[in-house]
Formats: sequence, structure tokens, C-alpha cells
Amino acid sequence: MPADLENSPSVSGEPTVSSLGNTDPPPKSTVKKKRNLPGMPDPDAEVIALSPKTLLATNRFVCEICNKGFQRDQNLQLHRRGHNLPWKLRQRSSNEVKKKVYVCPETSCVHHDPSRALGDLTGIKKHFCRKHGEKKWKCDKCSKKYAVQSDWKAHSKICGTREYKCDCGTLFSRRDSFITHRAFCDALAEESAKAQPQSLVDKPVSNSSQKAVEPVEPNPKLSPPPSPPAAASPPQSACVLSPPVLPIQSQDQSENPSQYNEEAPVTTGMSGSCSSSKSPSSNSSSSSRFASLFASTTTSISLQPPQPPAFTDMIHVMACSDPSSDYAPTTSTEPISLCLSTTHGASIFGAASQDLRQYTPAPQPAMSATALLQKAAQMGAAASNASFLRGLGLVPSSSSATPQESSPWNQRQVEPDGISIAAGLGLGLPCDGNSGLKELMRGNHSLFAPKHTTLDFLGLGMAAGGSPNNRGLAALITSIGGGMDVGTTTGSYGGGDISSKDMNRNN
Amino acid sequence: MDITFFTAKEAPTSFFNQSHDHRHHHQLHHLHFSNLDMQSSTSHSSEYSPEHSPSAAAAAATATATGKWASTLLKECARAISEKDSNKIHHFLWMLNELASPYGDSDQKMAFYFLQALFCRATETGLTCYKTLVAVAEKNHNFDSALRLILKFQEASPWTTFGHVASNGAILEALEGETKLHIIDISNTLCTQWPTLLESLATRNDDTPHLKLTVVTTTSIVKCLMKEIGQRMEKFARLMGVPFEFNPITNIDHLTDLTNEALKVEEGEAIAINCIGALRRVKVEERNNVISMLKSLKPRVLTIVEEEADFISSKNDFLKCFEECLRFYTLYFEMLEESFVATSNERLVLERECSRSIVRLLGCDHDQISEEEIGSERREKGKQWTKRLKQALFSSANFSEDVMDDVKALLKRYKPGWALLRPATAAVRDEEENGDGESSGIYLTWKEEPVVWVSAWKP
Repeated sequence: MPADLENSPSVSGEPTVSSLGNTDPPPKSTVKKKRNLPGMPDPDAEVIALSPKTLLATNRFVCEICNKGFQRDQNLQLHRRGHNLPWKLRQRSSNEVKKKVYVCPETSCVHHDPSRALGDLTGIKKHFCRKHGEKKWKCDKCSKKYAVQSDWKAHSKICGTREYKCDCGTLFSRRDSFITHRAFCDALAEESAKAQPQSLVDKPVSNSSQKAVEPVEPNPKLSPPPSPPAAASPPQSACVLSPPVLPIQSQDQSENPSQYNEEAPVTTGMSGSCSSSKSPSSNSSSSSRFASLFASTTTSISLQPPQPPAFTDMIHVMACSDPSSDYAPTTSTEPISLCLSTTHGASIFGAASQDLRQYTPAPQPAMSATALLQKAAQMGAAASNASFLRGLGLVPSSSSATPQESSPWNQRQVEPDGISIAAGLGLGLPCDGNSGLKELMRGNHSLFAPKHTTLDFLGLGMAAGGSPNNRGLAALITSIGGGMDVGTTTGSYGGGDISSKDMNRNN
Repeated sequence: MDITFFTAKEAPTSFFNQSHDHRHHHQLHHLHFSNLDMQSSTSHSSEYSPEHSPSAAAAAATATATGKWASTLLKECARAISEKDSNKIHHFLWMLNELASPYGDSDQKMAFYFLQALFCRATETGLTCYKTLVAVAEKNHNFDSALRLILKFQEASPWTTFGHVASNGAILEALEGETKLHIIDISNTLCTQWPTLLESLATRNDDTPHLKLTVVTTTSIVKCLMKEIGQRMEKFARLMGVPFEFNPITNIDHLTDLTNEALKVEEGEAIAINCIGALRRVKVEERNNVISMLKSLKPRVLTIVEEEADFISSKNDFLKCFEECLRFYTLYFEMLEESFVATSNERLVLERECSRSIVRLLGCDHDQISEEEIGSERREKGKQWTKRLKQALFSSANFSEDVMDDVKALLKRYKPGWALLRPATAAVRDEEENGDGESSGIYLTWKEEPVVWVSAWKP
């Protein structure tokens, strides 16, 4: 322990840690958003690189009297006063308090780059544990594992209090039985009907009064910081969580990608706007509406070139799902399948869950089961067909190009769009919109990503089960965010996820 | 004496009257105890005509005293059969027939199903009876019902999920880091074990491996479902993003017929073999061969799940075998009773499944031909399997603490009464001291009684 002393990022301001020095300062624009953009530290900050050992050495400063450990020597010194032991607080070595940022010791990690350093020690520690550490905290109720104790504690509080609901109406309190059921349930197996009567297409949107956010498990795995949508994500159709509602989780903000923070506010704002927006795609041909009904319009989303993440833009997009619509038409040509949730009467189509050939790209690893199942449900709502694929070809910037960068934007667009669709449908089925978009996004990468070569054209007929009139962006976002695992979120939703591996590493 | 046992029985279903074979029915009429009023005689056992059958009276008295009248009467009846005392046989059959019901409490159910087997035994009609039961079961059998049944059972009881979780844990650990996995699943669990494993593979930290799942089914009732199951597994694997190949093997009747070609074993595959209730379906004399054959596949791990009962050492002793069978199914029926509501259809189906096994084991075991024809599912205990596996030079692989935690977490979610028993440490000591093989693996216990044994092995 004494050996480590020098390396301690102590408050004393004498980090003997190797300082990488400030590398290229981030663009000014990002600096302003620093809070929202972890990994875009103040260029003036001192960059500190701790070894994994040092980083993980918790409470290295141990009181010899009571064995209580402290992360900082300073705190130990303060503690020693209580024992009437000699204590000493170090003086600041310089008058100027220099801001410190921390990089992740994992060299393959994006946060290893000083330009993406995180702003506080706890943040980097949690990041390192979650992303690169062993999950040694295990819930004794469900045996789910966590790398960070606080994550585990948060999970333990709510474990067992929620339920998984399958489209078929069956409730599950246990994840594994839900997974097993899900694999065999007709809701997944069913591949059915095709086009819906057009008359249904123009149904007004009704999303006014529901809970915007589905209950979520405040569990880091499901709602990892870096994933905006992940914040509040009940496994959508696949499983509707009931009890605890934890809208947006903002733990460990430092790790959150920019969009995360930005989106939270959006969510709320959106529910309102969604309901009013009845805009099918600008293609507005009846067919496109039709398509949107079936959630296929979502295609447009990914086709859409990346947009600035501006808040206003999002709203704009939401209100009138225009830009994307331009690209949307392709899908409309064919009837798309629709998987409505049968769980909460929302569905006009009732239990009819149908999908035409569905596009089911391989999901990413490191995703929670619920997230995967949720995805499945969402997929169920979307349909893909030849035209859809062609449509993808139109994508200006192929996702493969710069997945990482593009993904957030894509995502952003998607969300609003999905919403408007849902709204336009009046189905109040967030999943629909969602699923489409999600699928689309995913479709993107599966198209381009070498790893996922198996495209599912057979369709995974998972019915989407949204919360009833759950409209609202929030719901949408939640559903999008699904319980994706921390690492993967961006990747999977971003149009351009090349490979989950990369994303994981990057996060 | 709990008189409700009898008075509550509104419409006692007489096993004999239900018999598909009218011959049986007539035979029964020769079993003549018309002067006895069963209701009063059993509820007031002291009034029971002792001159007729003292032992029966005693049995009835014991039964009423312990509350386990079914097993007492059944044992007496079995003893009478083994002693070939036709008077007593008739008497107990008649008595049981009066009391038994497949819709009653677990005593009545036990009485009903074991009576069926005893009757078959006494009348040497086991094979016919068994075939009829199977035909009926197959007629009502389809994918949906089979799946609903197995899933509901898994929801209600860890009887099967215990083995799934432990085996999956062992398999995942043994195949850790491998990129080409080949799981050979010899079971009749309709692949219900695999979705959670697929999910685990999908969420593994390293690259998602390719999984080939070879499912070997030897029972006809499951074979016809494999196509639909395969479709679902493939879809689910796709959904989970696990590159997946499904390879069902339904064209063999005996595991000894398995070939490398059929198994599609390829170079570079990391093989895991998962046997759930599979070994007991192998003919007793072929078991060692099958185990050797499994070893020749060089699996990274072999997981075995068997129900803890010994129908082997008592093979030639009807009474002993009967008692072991009774012990085992009493536990099972009690477990069902506490796991399901009384009116549960699934429970009834599961009980009928047992009834077939009971008839096969007890009703047909005198008949070599029938055993040849329909098999016997002679269970062995963990200890006995351990011996066979060690003979085949398998060495036991301990379950990791992580897996144990998973299993414990699993059990917590069920009603009380279930527990995990880990004789492993004691066994090791035992082995060192005595050199006498204890059982490896772990047990699921129901009310302190080991009922399911799970173990993992490495060649």
C-alpha cells in the first residue's frame, strides 16, 4: 500500500501518475457540451493514466485501528483524527487547482485516448470495471452478475419485483423461464398474415395519456450508461415489465455518450409532439402510409443521412417525419408485416401478429436476453423485403464507414421518426415504429458487416407487445434502448455498427 | 383416520371399470367381497372382517394410522403378488380399486396407478396395457400440448430445470473460448434446455461461437416433434445472433446405433454431450457400451442427469423393485401435488406419464419379450452411474461455484422443499478412505430426499 501511495490520484494534487499530457484539444463545440460528452475533456485538464491495479485498488488507504479503507489518503487522514491518531493533510502543491481527467487503462478502449478521458475517478473506475472487469457481484436471486457493486445493489433492490410478459399473455417472474418460453412461444414462431386493411391506416394517433416510460430495471446491464435508449428500456414487446419504473438512468454520467443526456429531455418533450404528428412519410402516398402502418417506414430512418443532433432537429423530425420520408418509399410497395402487441389491447389488429419475411440480423453479443428478445419483438413489427434492401443501398453514408460516429445520429433520427410513425398509426404501439427502425438499423449493419452474414428472411415472427397506448417518445426510446448492454448499445442502434466487438471495445 | 379420504370421493373412478379390456372386468367380478362395505370397513378398520384377511386388516390399520394408506396397501398387495397368495391378491386389488382414483389426492392417485400396474402384473396383461396407454398418450400428443406441458412443469418445479442449469453451466465452462461448439443432446426435453444457453452464448464476452446442436431422440413420442422444435430453435438462434446448425437424429432406436456420420462430428469441434434421462433408456446390458461410445467422441464435457432411483439391483426381486418404485413415485406424486393446483391438466398428464412407466416397470417386468420390445427405463442411482462412468475412465468434473450459485438461485425461485445436495466433498474423502466410489455430481432434493442427480464428466 505505501508503494501505491505515490501513484494515488490523491486530492493532494500531486498525481505522480503518468501524465499523458493534453493531446489534441477537442473541438470547441464539444467542449461546451462537455457534460454530455464524456470523453471530451477540457483541453486544459491534466490527463491521468492509472494502471488497472491502481485503479481497482479500492480503499487502499486502510486505517490501522479499525481497518476501514479509504480511496484517498486525504480521507484516511481525516478519519485518523477520529482515533486521535496523528494526521496530516497535505498541502496543495500549487495554487492553481488543475482539473484532472482520467483515461481507461485498457488500450483498446476508446477512453484510453486522452481526448476521450473521463472526468472523474469514480467514473473511470466504474467504466473500467463494467467494460473490462470481472463481474464478481452476483445477485443471489437471479444470479445475474455485475462488475460494479453499486450496480449490483441497485439490481438487488428490484430483482424479482418485475415480471416479463410474453405476447401470448403469459407472465414470468423469472428471466430464464421467460427466455425459454419465448423461444417456443407462438408469438415468436408465428409467421402470418400480410397486409392489413388499408382502412386502418389512417387511424388517429392516440398517445395521450400513458405512462411514457415503461418500467425499467435499473440495471446497468440493461441500461448502460453509454446507451441513450438503454436508459429506460423495458424489454418491449417481448416482455413488458411491470413494476418499477425507472425512466432514465443517469448513473455514471461521465460515461454516457452525448446523446444520452440530450435525449432525456427530448423524451418528455416528444410525447406531446408525437401524438399530434400524424405524418406518415412525406412520400405520403397511401402506400407509404400503409407502410408506416406496418412500421416499415422506419426504413427511411436509416436511409437518412446523418443529421446534426440538434434538439430542434429532432423535434422537427418528430413533428414531421419528413426528411426520412424521402427515402422511405421503397418499402411501401409491399405490404409489410405488422406485429402488434396483443398484450395490451392497443392493437387494432388484435392478436394478429404477422410478419412477412423479416429481416433479422444477428444481434450483438453482450446484450441482455431481454434486450435481445425485445429486439425480436421489434423485429416482428417490421418487415423487410427486397425493396427494403434496395432502399438500404441508397444510404449515402454506409454504416460501415464510420459506424461509431454515425450511429448516434442515426439513432437520433430514428427515434423521432419512429415516434411519428407510431403516432401516425394511431396504434399507440411504440414497438412498431421502433421495431422498424431498429430493424432497419440493424439491417444496415448486417448488410455491411461481414460478421453477420446470416440474414433472416424467414422472419422472426415475434409479436410486438408494447405498452398499451404507450406512445410517446419515451416509450419509444425505452424500447429502442432496450436493455442493451452497455457496450453494445451504440453499436446496435447506430446504423453503422460494424461489429459488436468493436463497439464493445470502444465503449 | 381421515374419513374424508373416502367420503370426499364423489365418483370414485374404478380402475377396473375403466379397463380397456373387458376380460379384466369380468375377472374382477370373481373377486368377491360383496359383503364388505368398503367405506365403513376402511374408515373403521377395526370392524374390518379380520377372519377374512388378518394381514389386510392390519395393513388397513397401519394405513389409517400413518395416513399413507396407499403405499401400505400397495405394498401388501405387492407382497401378496410375490407370494402368489391369490386370496390376498384379490382382496387387496379389490380394496385398492375401491379407494383409488386418478382424480383424488396423491394417495388415491398412487393407489390408482400402482393398482393398474399390479393388476397388469397379476393378470399378465402388462404389455397390452402399456401399449394401450402409449397409444392413448400419442393420440393426444402434439407439439403444442407437449411444449405447454414441459414448460409448465418447468415453471412449477425444478425437477428438470435443475439439470438444465447445472448442465448448461458445466457445458458453457467446458466450452469457454471455443469457436466451434457441437452439443450432442441426448434427451427428450424438447430442447427446452437450450434457449438459455443460446442466450448465454450470445452474451459471452468473446466472439459468439458457432453452435451445432445435435439432438438425439429415441422415443417415438418426441421424434415427431423435432421438426417444429428445430424450426423454433433455428429462429431463436438467429434472433440471438448465434450461428447455429440444428441436426436432429430421429432415425435410431438405440443409442448404440449412433454413428459419427449421423452425429456429423467434424474436425475442430469442441464437443459437449448432454444426456438427460438418456442412459436409463438404454438397455441395462448395453449401458457400459453406450458410455464407452460417448467417450470415444472425446467430448470436452459429458453432462448426465438422471432421476435418483434404483430399479437395477432389484431387477429380479419384484417386491424390492416395487418398493423402490413406490418410494420414488410417492415423492414424485407429492411433488406434483405441491407444485400444481389440484385441477391442473398438466399434472394429470404428468401423472399419466408416470403411470406408463410404472406399468412398464412393474407390470411387464416378468416378461423378457416385453422388456425387449418396450424397454424398461430402469433407473440407476447416481452412485451406480458414477461407477459405470469411472469404469469407462471418465473422470468427474466438479461444478464450479458459479454454477452452484446459479443452481441455488434457481431453487430459490420455487416453492420451499427443494434443496441442493453436494456430496462431492464427502465423496472425495470417502473415496480416499475406502476407495469405494461414492457418487460424483450434485443432487436435487425434495423434502430432504435426493430425486435428481446431475454430474459432469471429462474423458
